[in-house]
Amino acid sequence: MRSICIKILLPLLLLFWSTSALAAVGCDLNNPDRDVPRLFPESTSFKTVYVSIQKMGGPALLKKIEGRLGAQNIALYAPVDVPYTLYEIYKDKKKVGYIHGVNQKGQFGGIQVFIAQDLSGKVKTFYLQKITGAAASKFREAKFARKFEGVTLKDFDHYDPVRGKGSGRIADVPNPSPDLETDYYGILRGLKKNLVLMDEFVFSAERGKP
Amino acid sequence: MMITPFQIAYKNLLRKKVRSVLTLIGIMLSTWVLVSLFGFNRGYETALNRDIENMGYQLMVMAKGCPYEAATMMLQGGKGLRYMDQSMVDQITKEPEVDKVTPILMQAFFDPNKGESGGIAGFYGVDAHSYPAMKPFFRFKKGGWFKDNAADEVVMGYEAAELEQREVGDETIVPEKNVKLKVVGILERTGSQDDGTTFVPLKTLQKISQVDQITTIGIKVKKDADITGLENKLYQLKDVQVVSFSQVKQTIMKLISTARVMVFSIAVVALLIAMVGVINTVLMSVLERRQEIGILKTMGAMPGDVFRLVWTETLILCSLGGVAGILLAVLFSRFTDLLARSILPYAPKGGLVAIDLKLSLLTLVIIVVVGLLSGLYPAWKAGRIRPLESIRGE
Repeated sequence: MRSICIKILLPLLLLFWSTSALAAVGCDLNNPDRDVPRLFPESTSFKTVYVSIQKMGGPALLKKIEGRLGAQNIALYAPVDVPYTLYEIYKDKKKVGYIHGVNQKGQFGGIQVFIAQDLSGKVKTFYLQKITGAAASKFREAKFARKFEGVTLKDFDHYDPVRGKGSGRIADVPNPSPDLETDYYGILRGLKKNLVLMDEFVFSAERGKP
Repeated sequence: MMITPFQIAYKNLLRKKVRSVLTLIGIMLSTWVLVSLFGFNRGYETALNRDIENMGYQLMVMAKGCPYEAATMMLQGGKGLRYMDQSMVDQITKEPEVDKVTPILMQAFFDPNKGESGGIAGFYGVDAHSYPAMKPFFRFKKGGWFKDNAADEVVMGYEAAELEQREVGDETIVPEKNVKLKVVGILERTGSQDDGTTFVPLKTLQKISQVDQITTIGIKVKKDADITGLENKLYQLKDVQVVSFSQVKQTIMKLISTARVMVFSIAVVALLIAMVGVINTVLMSVLERRQEIGILKTMGAMPGDVFRLVWTETLILCSLGGVAGILLAVLFSRFTDLLARSILPYAPKGGLVAIDLKLSLLTLVIIVVVGLLSGLYPAWKAGRIRPLESIRGE
């Protein structure tokens, strides 16, 4: 038994431990079967679809998205053909919403911002799957997540998360960890990016506006 | 214009299109399986060799204990890992077979802000001088290696940097310990496990984890040195175990050999079925054309001419089916790759199915030779047809 351990398990562990720890790069839910019912309680099933800016409109769409976000490079390490994972949520056979996540740069590591949206694009649940830092847990508290319930893309009309300036509902969300400004604005940028991408990938098309 | 035997054979096959097409499909499918299998045999080994080569060293020495236990401990946050003294490095360096040696410390820290219930962040403590020497093939996307072994710096593999959205100059943090480190280098993709690794200077990681020992020693052996002899010598060291990557390769190859034998058996059966199809098609065609063949003979055709004519039909069937099967195997090699990955217990990175011109030609030769052997009986039977009997028989 020991020799099997030495000959097989250890080398495989050593060869692949780093990749297993850091599994899939991108923005997928870690455990969709468990996470989807938690983020969308009335769901009974979900379907995973993959969309990319390349397939939906190519460089022109990328430019449009960057224009809407007010910043270049919608994500580091995200070329135009990177696939985005979109979870379509169903209650019985009826589609009731979506879950989508994005990567955003934070102070000490990547932030993964997920939102569950109803069919009108309104945020039902806000979830930070990953954020790094000593005080990062404050951003993952339910109290902070609840501030974003009901948010729509329109709420960003009067608030610019790149410059951190503006008014309205988003501007009123307090920073739970004031010493981590980069993470705070990173989360808001991630949220806007998520809403803009979903608008381009799903809601614009549903409204019939390419 | 003179009609060649090839044209006659081709036209004969077209007379029963459905039967000929079905036979072609049979040959095509068996060729597909055969080429894919040969391609997998070679591709898997190449990919495995590449994975092992990318380790940079052929032997590893680590503290004694069941590695399965060590793996569990590591996944639980690096608690209770087995360590060994760093002085072991000097002892091993003295061995004449040894070319290079590098000490490694693997540590894992629990990050409560990863996923719903927390996750593990792995760090790889490496020597700033000897480790890069083991991996001369590393290319940096930006930046470079750490300044020294005690620098508060990290080098990140491409995927690790992608996941953490880090650029050179950014800060990162070690969970649990809350130690800030500066990113000084980001590697280009290697297609190996290094892509997901975060490298920290050895002394820095020892300081952070308050461990003055190491978990592993990587050993690069001199060219043409006796690896088995060195392994035996290393086994004499106290409380260590030795892992040889040539052993690992053999073990993995043994693990997949059952799957290979099974697929090979299926390929042989598929090939046999296809060849029975060839015999059936050509024989049926011969029996249906007894009168024609009889007339050919009365006109002066020799048994050898008839034999060649029928054999050409087999040649056409096998060549067309073989080429189509090879094209199918090349077109669907990615699919075969994915299928193999989903079945195998372990699949190295990179393409698992390597199909090239040489392999394709070899398979085509096998298919044509086996096909021609199958066509011997129908062709012989056709050659033996007696002209008057066959004409009268109609």
